[in-house]
Amino acid sequence: MQALLSFDQAPPFAAPFRFFLTAPLFALLAGMLLLWSGPELFASRWTPAALALTHLISAGFMLQVMLGAMIQILPVVAGANIAKPLLLATLVHAAMTPGVLLLAAGFLTSEPLAFRLAALLLGSGAALFLGAAGHALYRVASSNPIIRGLKLALPGLGMTVGLGMLLAMALAGSFEVPLLQLTSIHFAWGFVGWSIILLASIAFVVVPMFQITPPYPTWFANRFAGSLLALLCLWSIADGIGWAWLAVLLADAMLLTVAALAVLTLQVQSRSKRARFDATQHYWRLAMLCTLASCVLSLAANHLPLLTEHQEWPLLCGVLALFGGGLSVMIGMLYKIVPFLVWLHLQNLGDGRVLAPNMNKVIAMRQIDRQMYAHFLALALLLAAAFWPGWFTYPAGLMLLIANASLLRNLLSALACYRQHCLKIAAGMASKPAGPGS
Amino acid sequence: MHTITNFMANDHRSCDHLMVAVEQAVASGAWALARTEFGRFQEAMQDHFAAEESLLFPLFEQSTGMYRGPTQVMRGEHAQMRQLLAAAAAALVEQDFDDYTGIAETLLVMMQQHNLKEENVLYPMCDQHLTDQVEALLPELQKQLAGSNKIPT
Repeated sequence: MQALLSFDQAPPFAAPFRFFLTAPLFALLAGMLLLWSGPELFASRWTPAALALTHLISAGFMLQVMLGAMIQILPVVAGANIAKPLLLATLVHAAMTPGVLLLAAGFLTSEPLAFRLAALLLGSGAALFLGAAGHALYRVASSNPIIRGLKLALPGLGMTVGLGMLLAMALAGSFEVPLLQLTSIHFAWGFVGWSIILLASIAFVVVPMFQITPPYPTWFANRFAGSLLALLCLWSIADGIGWAWLAVLLADAMLLTVAALAVLTLQVQSRSKRARFDATQHYWRLAMLCTLASCVLSLAANHLPLLTEHQEWPLLCGVLALFGGGLSVMIGMLYKIVPFLVWLHLQNLGDGRVLAPNMNKVIAMRQIDRQMYAHFLALALLLAAAFWPGWFTYPAGLMLLIANASLLRNLLSALACYRQHCLKIAAGMASKPAGPGS
Repeated sequence: MHTITNFMANDHRSCDHLMVAVEQAVASGAWALARTEFGRFQEAMQDHFAAEESLLFPLFEQSTGMYRGPTQVMRGEHAQMRQLLAAAAAALVEQDFDDYTGIAETLLVMMQQHNLKEENVLYPMCDQHLTDQVEALLPELQKQLAGSNKIPT
């Protein structure tokens, strides 16, 4: 209840926005890495460049957006206020950003110091965020699937980063661990325990409310996060102690649960009452189709050993899950969150006397659509590169650069709009000095 | 069980559907129909704000002693939505597709983040603090909201 008293205190604009602006920079680096390493990157999922690329997208792009969005939405959806959000955002961002760069550098150079520093920075950044978000959510009753999902996603991030630190220290030569086994547990916690549980809890709210669809079935929304987390814990234990048959069974159950989320989202979204699909809805649809495809391909690989002999198979699953699923849904959400935050903060600053530009004037729809097509093309080229790296690696890298330069430009144009209107408001207030500002 | 949360959340969904009817009319270029539908939507929104500001919020404030807390924030957001409604009405009169679409999108996101705060935090608190008064309060709220011609959800 104490949290609610101040739930007007939306975090300052700079708190989430620094994460949103940094995200495309990591995807730009990923594009450059593709061009620099060339087709060799796609030789296997274990090449140093493939590992660096995976982390630039997951711990770079995706985690930046998720952290920024969490800091912004916790007060809105759960009434859970983070104390000193700007300070927290500054510290977490300052630790996470160089942490991911050092991690990528570690993979590419095998330099032990890079791995050690990356583990230290990513570990402290995640610990700070988890402490603050956990403290804010601790006081909130788990009264609905969104709040439960947000709470259950936090241990997922903790496990992912904890295991990641362990792996980084092992790669730095500090001690020995079963690398392959720990890597698959680290990946599963990052993909399922953190990303999917967080995404689902957001989807249960965002899809029906913003796309005007029927709600998700209550039985599904109520049980999803808890069941998935339980399956993940059991699978980690089974995999850890080497009960292969049980591990495969539990992995299948996890994949089917994630696939069910994708199918239900597509089904619910197809009943949207909105007059036309905008970029955000297209991005959601693409993300769910890619997540579904990735789950189906992984299920097939679990049961058809013939497929796992092909190096393309895991690469294809990875491209679908990371670029098709994660990146797509996050860019789609950014196109709603960023223009709305610009409008909201300008509206509050203008105090009703200087009107803020509407969302579609913050980032022009035409620019958003162009960026979306560039992203679609980059994804198609990346999928092709998984099969024919010699032909498609360079076009895919180039297109990834274009799509994310375009995303960065769109976000910067939102920032320019914000700054320009701040000046207008300041001038307006100076001529009418009674305004309180904020 | 009838709760304030369920009752008021249902009215949020009714307003959503009325808003979508305007959007569909605008998308098909039926400006006269869009203005009629917008009238219904605006009336439903005003009734909802009025029910909260004149009935629900004062009861919550009296019962909790929180006069400058969440209800004050909600009133502030109502004022912002009233401004957006006025701007959307003006865009409809001008038959300006881009302006209406942009304002309506902003209003939709504003409405939904406002609804989230109410449905997840404020209404459950009202249910908790106004347990004894729910039976009498719901018909009163119903009367306030009945002015608008809602689409059943």
